Amino acid sequence: MTNLSQDKASLLEVDGLSVEYRLKGVSLRAIDRVSFALQAGEAVGLVGESGSGKTTTAMAIAGLLSPNARVSGGQVRYRGNLLSIDNDAAMRPHRWTETSVVFQGAMNALNPVHRIIKQIAEPCILKLGMSRAEATARAREVLELVGIPTDRGTAYPHELSGGMRQRVMIAMALACRPSIIIGDEPTTALDVITQAQILKLLGKLRSQLNLALILITHDLSVVAESCDRVMIMYAGRIVEDGTVAEIFAKPKHPYTRLLIESIPNPASGIRIIRPIPGDPPNLMNRPSGCAFHPRCPSATGVCTTEVPSLEKFGWGRVACHLHRSSQEGRVAVHA
Amino acid sequence: MSESIVRYSSRSRARAIKSFLSNLLGHAGAQLGLLCLVFFLVLSAVPNILVGPLETVATATGDFLVPPSSQHLLGTDEVGRDVLNLVVHGARISLTIALLATVISLVVGTTVGIIAGYYGGRVDVWLMRLTDFFFVMPSFVLALVITPVVLEVMGRGREILGFRPSLFVILVVIGITSWAFVARIVRSQTLSLKERTFIDRARVVGSSNLSIMVRHILPNLVPQIAANGALVVAGAIYVETSLSFLGLGDPLQPSWGTLLSLAQRAGAASTGAWWYLGAPGLCALAVSLSFVLVGNALDDTFNPRQRVIP
Amino acid sequence: MPDTSDILSLESLKVHFPIQGGLFDRVLGRSAGAVRAADGVDLNIGRGEIVALVGESGSGKTTVGRVITKLAQPTGGRLLFEGRDMTSAKGFSALRPYRRRVQMIFQDAYQALNPRHTVFDSVAEPLRSLRLVKNHAQLTERVSEALSAAGLNPPGDFFARFPHELSGGQRQRVVIAGALAVKPELIVADEPVSMLDVSIRAQILQVLVDLRAKHNMALLFITHDLPLAWLIADRIAVLYLGRLVEIGSADDITFNPRHPYTVALRNATPQIRSDASRFELPALQGEVPSAARVPKGCRFHPRCPLAFDRCKEEEPPAIEVGPQHMSACWLPTSGAKAELSTPNLKSADHGSV
Repeated sequence: MTNLSQDKASLLEVDGLSVEYRLKGVSLRAIDRVSFALQAGEAVGLVGESGSGKTTTAMAIAGLLSPNARVSGGQVRYRGNLLSIDNDAAMRPHRWTETSVVFQGAMNALNPVHRIIKQIAEPCILKLGMSRAEATARAREVLELVGIPTDRGTAYPHELSGGMRQRVMIAMALACRPSIIIGDEPTTALDVITQAQILKLLGKLRSQLNLALILITHDLSVVAESCDRVMIMYAGRIVEDGTVAEIFAKPKHPYTRLLIESIPNPASGIRIIRPIPGDPPNLMNRPSGCAFHPRCPSATGVCTTEVPSLEKFGWGRVACHLHRSSQEGRVAVHA
Repeated sequence: MSESIVRYSSRSRARAIKSFLSNLLGHAGAQLGLLCLVFFLVLSAVPNILVGPLETVATATGDFLVPPSSQHLLGTDEVGRDVLNLVVHGARISLTIALLATVISLVVGTTVGIIAGYYGGRVDVWLMRLTDFFFVMPSFVLALVITPVVLEVMGRGREILGFRPSLFVILVVIGITSWAFVARIVRSQTLSLKERTFIDRARVVGSSNLSIMVRHILPNLVPQIAANGALVVAGAIYVETSLSFLGLGDPLQPSWGTLLSLAQRAGAASTGAWWYLGAPGLCALAVSLSFVLVGNALDDTFNPRQRVIP
Repeated sequence: MPDTSDILSLESLKVHFPIQGGLFDRVLGRSAGAVRAADGVDLNIGRGEIVALVGESGSGKTTVGRVITKLAQPTGGRLLFEGRDMTSAKGFSALRPYRRRVQMIFQDAYQALNPRHTVFDSVAEPLRSLRLVKNHAQLTERVSEALSAAGLNPPGDFFARFPHELSGGQRQRVVIAGALAVKPELIVADEPVSMLDVSIRAQILQVLVDLRAKHNMALLFITHDLPLAWLIADRIAVLYLGRLVEIGSADDITFNPRHPYTVALRNATPQIRSDASRFELPALQGEVPSAARVPKGCRFHPRCPLAFDRCKEEEPPAIEVGPQHMSACWLPTSGAKAELSTPNLKSADHGSV
């Protein structure tokens, strides 16, 4: 079972991380005191809607925050060492060799005028100081790893299909032997069958190379198929964290439960549309207390005033007043 | 309810205009250009109040080619007319011609550009060939060919649409040689707008082609047209000055170019009458430059790379 | 079979886009071929019926939607509306009666609204151009009615807003309001929820389903998402490379798919309870080929794990495999019937939650 945050041997520890964006003189808190730990070889899904802060969290870990972002609190430790994630120069040796990112739009992330093998070899030369020949050999290795015949290495990005390009992106991410791969919606732009192939590939690589995987997505069912653990984010905070099996069988947070129910699932046989009322939260105008309370069917008075903290609950964690009260001995009535 | 709608609408528009102006005026170039343009527009609006009626040889008030003095701030010309008086009246002629020529150019250019871009195919091919033809046509040669013909047909004394024939020719020549530039820009913008889904939607909800062009495409072209319109004016001032300098202007209604031409013929350069050449020359330069500055600032403000079309 | 109760039917509809060849080809008078976006689609939609058209990118599903809404012209086949041939109808005034009855909803609502038009203008546009209102009072009434039916309440608050001032869900509601303002009998919805946040999707689906319930409006729901199609549709049609491979009731397609492609699609779709309802079929390799190079025979055969000789030579017709259930596959005719005729639901617990 996943052990959370207390484990000293964690590969990555995020503790109370807050990030703010400055937009036209206004400060927007994109993520608010996000804490979690990641073990080597673990696959975590980071799930949320637009504005939930899932991408900001992942980019902060990779040290890829945009220039108008500021880390306003908290810290990130990698193998016990503090990372200065808002310092681009300090993060440069860490990126690609320890943590790499697979982006959504593979076409934009690849240089159209270079052969793919050259693009995969490039980080090895720059980061690991390999010679051109060594780097090319390494590039062949990773191409084989992601299931691209090595003779396709001389192709240009536009000659490849969308799925192949995404494989190239994964190969690039793997080239410098990182321990963590962050996938930022890596399959969103792909077709269903190609998506299944890519997810299968990521799963295979993970067990083969003992990679930790952080999968950012808005699609719970993708997480269900490819991760061990899932963290649900809402309005910049983690609202629930637990194993995939547990969360999909028994969601604790009302948002998680409604989200799962709103996804059509033929296996359940329930053919009823069950919408979540209201709009996703606006960061400019964050609701008081629990950010989900205006849409929550079980909200009570305390939800409108007090921000619930993320507390240990069973094997996972949940940030909801309903569950806090049950811990204090009362029975939570919802579901 | 309707009252609240009106309030909403005007507030929303007012907000948009305010933010647009503050963006525009953020450019130092735009501030300078607009200041200069306001100055010249005032000059050309009320020349009689500022410097009295246009002086002629008969009403000349000074000696020949007197350097600037307290009596004649910009000196006098070879027949004793006050140069300040001539330059201020010249502003009116120059600006009128430039602005009207720009209107012709924008109307023709936008119409041709939208139609070519929207319909595509054969229409596009032929309209663009026509555009290319006008694009490469030299305005000087065209003016030199047309002027004698028009003067022969109309006679020197008559007026066309309130313009003396030679000024009308200049106006038309500038108009028909500068619209091609506008048409090319409008066409390329139309081609990209045409692919946007809201054009598909307009078609599905039954809008006619005309209505799609006028209600959907045109409003989204306003930024490009405005920015390029300012550049067209600058070009028009330059061409007008050059054509008049070649002697195609009307000596009875002197523009800046005509003044330069008169000065050159009077030997202002060789006799050292710098004020006579300098005053109209600097004015033409300042106005062209101002329009360029404003045009660039408009372009920056509307730049799609900085901001999606609002 | 064109049924009199069908509001719309497509008969072997074809849309081929010619490929502009290079100079060499043109000199030699060679044709560079064509992209066969739709290549013989037969589909009918009944009154008040919700049909989902499911396919991957490049399957031609959007093209079919564009033909029905007269945004694209077919190069072959027929488009019948209430039995009347609309295939070659052209020009906005000739199409006006058709447009009053067939409307469309788009994938990207932000792109589908003119950024310079207010919500009122956008929703009023169809009413004006289709001449459905006599005066401004009537126009305001119809616009309010449509906005409120699309779930934007109170409608007056939205009249003067611009698209960029709305949330994604609200924008899609404006597009829906525009379509339903004319009270159409058929709406083509092209991936109407795929760009929306998960929690908003169900709200929009609810609006669409309510419309059918209230006004008996038919809906062609174009999507790449099989579970979503199952949730909303009465029937599902699966499109592969410009041709329907299978069509049947939503339950049949979901729980009893007969075409190997449908099975593969179903298996590849990620699900929350992933251990349930997978069919036995090896995973597909490769990706959808280009519509410019459609394989000979059954167009799915190069990727089909069950293909046999006949599939490489002959294109299969739609074969009835159950009541109202057709599959364009040679399998049922072959001896290998056992392979798919009893789809092996690993856990046959459908309905037991």
